[in-house]
Amino acid sequence: MAGSLQGGRTSRRIGHVTFRAILTLFMVAILNFLLFRVIPGDPADMLLAGARNSVSAEQIESQRKSWGLDRPLIPDQLLNYLSTTFQGDLGYSFKFSGRRVADLILERLPATIALVGVAQVIAILCGVMLGIYAGWRRGGAIDHVVSGTSLALYSTPPFWLGMVLVLVFSTALGWLPGYGSYSPSAATADLPDWLGDRARHLVLPVLAIALGLIGQYVVVARAAMSDVVTEDYMVTARAKGLTSGQMLMRHAFRNALLPVVTLVTLNLGYIVSGAITVESVFAWPGIGSLTVEAVNGRDYPVLQGVFLLLGLSIVVANLVTDLAYGILDPRVR
Amino acid sequence: MTKLTAESRRHLRTQAIKSFLRRFLGHNGAWLGLLALAFFLVLAAMPGALVGPLQTAITATGDFLIPPSTQHLLGTDEIGRDVLNLIVHGARTSLTIALVSTVISLIVGITVGMTSGYYGGRIDAWLMRTTDFFFVIPSFVLALVITPVVLEVIGRGGDILGFRPSLFVIILVIGSTSWAFVARIVRSQTLSLRERQFVERARVVGTNDLNIMVHHLLPLLVPQVAANGALVVANAIYTETALSFLGLGDPLQPSWGTLLSLAERAGAASSGAWWYFGAPGLCVLIVSLGFVLVGNALDDTFNPRRRAIP
Repeated sequence: MAGSLQGGRTSRRIGHVTFRAILTLFMVAILNFLLFRVIPGDPADMLLAGARNSVSAEQIESQRKSWGLDRPLIPDQLLNYLSTTFQGDLGYSFKFSGRRVADLILERLPATIALVGVAQVIAILCGVMLGIYAGWRRGGAIDHVVSGTSLALYSTPPFWLGMVLVLVFSTALGWLPGYGSYSPSAATADLPDWLGDRARHLVLPVLAIALGLIGQYVVVARAAMSDVVTEDYMVTARAKGLTSGQMLMRHAFRNALLPVVTLVTLNLGYIVSGAITVESVFAWPGIGSLTVEAVNGRDYPVLQGVFLLLGLSIVVANLVTDLAYGILDPRVR
Repeated sequence: MTKLTAESRRHLRTQAIKSFLRRFLGHNGAWLGLLALAFFLVLAAMPGALVGPLQTAITATGDFLIPPSTQHLLGTDEIGRDVLNLIVHGARTSLTIALVSTVISLIVGITVGMTSGYYGGRIDAWLMRTTDFFFVIPSFVLALVITPVVLEVIGRGGDILGFRPSLFVIILVIGSTSWAFVARIVRSQTLSLRERQFVERARVVGTNDLNIMVHHLLPLLVPQVAANGALVVANAIYTETALSFLGLGDPLQPSWGTLLSLAERAGAASSGAWWYFGAPGLCVLIVSLGFVLVGNALDDTFNPRRRAIP
């Protein structure tokens, strides 16, 4: 009986969270549609501008009609936009000689996922462990060093960190490459060399993103741990005669983890901006470089596509965290 | 009788301010942060008096990309401008963008949060749904697509209130996309405050809603808003730097982010010109660290149960 009641509540929560995610995504799509309709100039006029003198007003009018530009913006054009977007048609790039935006994005996506994924895993592991340790041993020498460094890292723009890393490890010491994702000479090498080359190119950009993230995770994990340490159940655990290690693993760790889970989503803006700017420093062939090219070349269809992709991944990440939170914290269930 | 109460009230207020200052300044972090911010505010207040007018390619005083020397304390850039001159003028641009956009986002956030919490019901539901959108989608991502479009619409020429239009656009875009965090905090505070007796009493004697919000609720929200406001500034600086670094800043009125972008395009990191990108980056680091430290100290002072980071 109680079980089914709880099951009902859980599924209602999941439904509610999913509904909100879909609503947000819908708003992203509408903003995307409206924003890029504000730009002056009609697509038909623009594309036929080169042939201005030989094109009559009737021809432009018929072109507009065939593209549906004569119909009202809302709801006809909006519905049309939503349905084509839903089918994966994101339009054509201005800059890359009319290539499909969806293809451009899919081509660049793996490099960004590799970069952000590796940085995120490293940052979570190092950041959470250091933060929890610093919070557990509050006020110690290690705590002071760790939390001071993380506050500084947290306030540093990751792309600047990237430039400093290039200067030190690539320009001055010559240890690691500071540009691109592979060397042309290693492109045809056998597998171990190829992998090694890729990995060497990954080190500096990953470090630039991960260091800033570590700063944030340490700050939050430490604050959460400091809160947990003062809780009554920790005193009870001590009174029961548990050792420090048992207290840390059985009582403190899981409770201190909850704020960190929330942070991972709150942090998405930082991760996105970090990844985009760092990619631009290292000429990393991912979504970030594509975005920078689109911004500087006023390639609006690509920018629109990138915005949709970022919106989608942020909403999905939020959804996953919301659901994970429900599993981690029984009070939410 | 009334005079006495007024006097004792004033006495109470000075006592409260004194005890606040004693606790706030007891934090080493607060001192460090305030010193750093005061230093940069002085730079931003009178760049002309300190280093002369902003140098351009025509008025540049040095050779190309020379390292720091006694003549150019922080070296020169790729067209011979003095880097010290650039970053002092950059301080004015960066800080203005950060502070004005924070003021905008605080105004929007407080208005939305207070209206939502005070009226509740359907207004609350709609406002919070809007807030959710801005809360989920980061300010940087919104600014990244909105800024180029708005710039295209209004153009980059002329100036508005002494600022280049592109800076104005960045201020407005950052301000209008980063208020959701403040709105949520204000709403939850308002929800608990409106149940208190003094609100009930004010309503019974016929005070209207606007008056209750401005005179009875707003003063009580100040501590929370101030502590989080410092973090909003740090975030605004970060967003502005990242946007300018991607080329959305204005080269004719460079902020620190624009300088970093110029340095990146000139290949400063791979040619070893550390002075060119080192100084603006450190400025960003110090100022945003300053705001974070002040914010943490404020949070700690107003809210001693939640011990913040030192």
